[in-house]
Amino acid sequence: MTVSAIEFSRLGPPKLRLYGMRCATCDVISPWWEKFHCYKCGGDDLTEVFLDGRGTLTNYTVVYYPPRDFLGQEPYVVGHITMDEGVLLPAPVVDTALEDVQVGTRVKATLRRMKLGHEGDIYYSQKFVIDEDAGQ
Amino acid sequence: MRVGVLGIGKTPHKIQHSKSLRDLIVEAGRGALADAGVSPSDIQMLYVGNVGSVGFNYENSTGLMAAHHLGVVPAGAVRVEAACGTGAWALHLGVVAITSGLYDTVMVVGAEKMNDLATVEATSIIAQAADSKEEYFSGLTFPSGVALTARKYMQVYGLTEEDLAHTAVKNHHYGARNPYAHLRFECTVEEVMKSAKVADPLKLYEVCPMTDAGSALVLCREEILRDQPDKPQVYVTASQMATGTWYASTDTLEDAYRLFNEPAKRAYAMSGVTADDIDVAEIYNSFSIQEPLGIEGLGFAAPGEGWRGAEDGSTWMDGKVAVNLSGGLLCKGHPLGATGATQAVDIIEQLRGTAPEGIQSQDPEIGITACRGGPGAVGAIHIYQRIEGE
Amino acid sequence: MAEISRYGAYLPKYRVSLGDVQKFFGRPGRPRSRTLSIPALDEDALTMAYEAADQALGDHRAPGAIIAVSLSPPFGLRKLSATLARALGLSEETVPYDISGHPGSLSDAFALAESLVVSVGSVLVVASDYVVSFDERVCDTLAAGGAAAFLITESGGFARLGASSRFSEEIYDVWFLAREREPRYRLEVLFDASLKATSQAIKGLEKTSGEPTATYRHVAASQPHPQVLRGLGKAGVSGDQLAHTSFVGEIGNLGTASLGVALALSFDHVVAGERVLAVSYGAGEAVAQAIEIISPPPALGLEDKIPGEAIDLGTYYLWTRGRQAEPH
Repeated sequence: MTVSAIEFSRLGPPKLRLYGMRCATCDVISPWWEKFHCYKCGGDDLTEVFLDGRGTLTNYTVVYYPPRDFLGQEPYVVGHITMDEGVLLPAPVVDTALEDVQVGTRVKATLRRMKLGHEGDIYYSQKFVIDEDAGQ
Repeated sequence: MRVGVLGIGKTPHKIQHSKSLRDLIVEAGRGALADAGVSPSDIQMLYVGNVGSVGFNYENSTGLMAAHHLGVVPAGAVRVEAACGTGAWALHLGVVAITSGLYDTVMVVGAEKMNDLATVEATSIIAQAADSKEEYFSGLTFPSGVALTARKYMQVYGLTEEDLAHTAVKNHHYGARNPYAHLRFECTVEEVMKSAKVADPLKLYEVCPMTDAGSALVLCREEILRDQPDKPQVYVTASQMATGTWYASTDTLEDAYRLFNEPAKRAYAMSGVTADDIDVAEIYNSFSIQEPLGIEGLGFAAPGEGWRGAEDGSTWMDGKVAVNLSGGLLCKGHPLGATGATQAVDIIEQLRGTAPEGIQSQDPEIGITACRGGPGAVGAIHIYQRIEGE
Repeated sequence: MAEISRYGAYLPKYRVSLGDVQKFFGRPGRPRSRTLSIPALDEDALTMAYEAADQALGDHRAPGAIIAVSLSPPFGLRKLSATLARALGLSEETVPYDISGHPGSLSDAFALAESLVVSVGSVLVVASDYVVSFDERVCDTLAAGGAAAFLITESGGFARLGASSRFSEEIYDVWFLAREREPRYRLEVLFDASLKATSQAIKGLEKTSGEPTATYRHVAASQPHPQVLRGLGKAGVSGDQLAHTSFVGEIGNLGTASLGVALALSFDHVVAGERVLAVSYGAGEAVAQAIEIISPPPALGLEDKIPGEAIDLGTYYLWTRGRQAEPH
């Protein structure tokens, strides 16, 4: 997936930190791409809220055939992480043996490179690592 | 509602390096025209279902290109796109065109040419049928997004990978007997389990291949088909569409159920039949888990039980409802824009009694197609009936 | 006066055997480092800086300034410190500064932080590098990656930044020309020049502080190569003083982060009242600085992270080959 440098600039800064969108009507936090519409209640007043970065892996898969941007990283874990704030986010879980990951593992967000645009921009975002402080 | 199926046509489903997108469109379209006994000038509107020609083939405006090469100019033509539900959407628009009363005879074509690019590139383009900008940014692909659903299903209902493997076994049994299918080998549960991992827990035999194909239908007003009693009297009697969640992250098993169940309820009501009346079904299964989910959504089994029919025979040819006698998308492949239209062609062949011998069921009268698209974003239900003259 | 209040360090998890790399390129001789610490495909100087800084900051997200030190920032023409500040969620009041120049720049950053805390209260100093070197040249440059971060405050810290002494001479040992992709080097010049510069700086510190070199519990030094550490021996540093802070022979050259990681290793083994000698070197310049321990900080256990996880040559090739054409 290539995007232009302008698009990167538009999407870039928020990706350096993990955030969700809080609905003013029902208070539910949606993933960060729900800028327009709360999928829970249909409300249209959503604001950014930064997340703490800790959550629980509630589902995951292991990718063996990656998209171009992830070539060389396979096999890698992509999980659905239910953040402590309640919102569910998809993200890779890195720096772990495949056997050490299961539903229920506590994870925390860290900064990693996600992909390169064709105009030479580096897109950073959050990947997750097993939360060492969680005593699991 | 009764919309006449005047003609059907399709190309083989496989990697076809010698054929371009326009070759596939013309081959399928001319097959339908010949079967219908009409000429291009009889077509009053053309709907062309195609998802990725901009990415796969570096060309756009597929509907207009098709109109030229099929010779339907000066009739109207347009390209239809709704992710993997595209072919069914093109069919729906054809049905709407007829039932509106504006048109007497229309053509629906679905086509996709996926194999001009390497797998990695093609995968990235297919991902654009989901939210590749934002959600798939996280390293998800279509197979891995659906794999998450598979794991959820297994978790909620306490199933094993072996339980799900039976679906692939059934599809491959019939795919091996379908000369138009891309993959034509049988397999056992053990072989499914041993096949290469694609996105855990989905394995190679549980995901569809990338295929080049086209399929087409000529639809007409009920009276036009009625007035030709020597033609097979198969009609589209329901066409209901729905949308669902665009994001795998917010797609629950309940959403997957609703995606088919809501339009299916309306379709059953529209056509005056129930789930129990259905003889044959083509249920979208680019990934094996989607077949059990579809079986449940259509009301053929209770939630959590949709997988069982592949094991106990009740969704095989002589079972309660024969599901995916074509070999499903697992064997036919999933040429994105063609799939929904091919499902219709395959069910119509069943109702006509003209399907290849090894996969023709015994005298079916009522069929259903269920197509889906995106992570859980498109639901498309069509019902077809063979209705002999009254 | 300025003190170190908190610190953090990050080493990538993965290690490639330098012996395997040497064999691949047909380089004779004993490998000068056992392994190289290799950032994964999705890591770079920014992400490693983030890890170290995140550990150093804890809940303190409003330092008065952040100084980023790196010779391998992912982007030119933009501030690594500014991007890092955004990623860390620092206050908008935190002023970002980038310091570059040479592998010893961390010492310069400490000096600047010392002055800056007087006006802004606290300064986060982060050094992070994924040393740039390609093909068989990594067998000489021992190119590896890592990061370290230090929160500098006026008071209330666990260690005090003390007196320092500098030495500087014009020398060509490791250098780039303008926009060249990787450095040129003369190892024999490096060994001689670093010995000369660091001895002079250490002697200079002895003179100004009155404290003999032998009285430091640990010596934490820039270490682009094991030979540089052996040179310190000739400058009056004992093997005992380097025992806990030497890592270049295990995991390679961490560039500007080298001194920071050495310091972090020393902090796991100090008691109140002891002193650590920080010695930086780069391009003919050395700084020797005394660091006095006020109270031992919570241990990071960085020593346990040195061995890491082995990756094979194929993985190393896959992870580094592409980076040569891409920013890292």
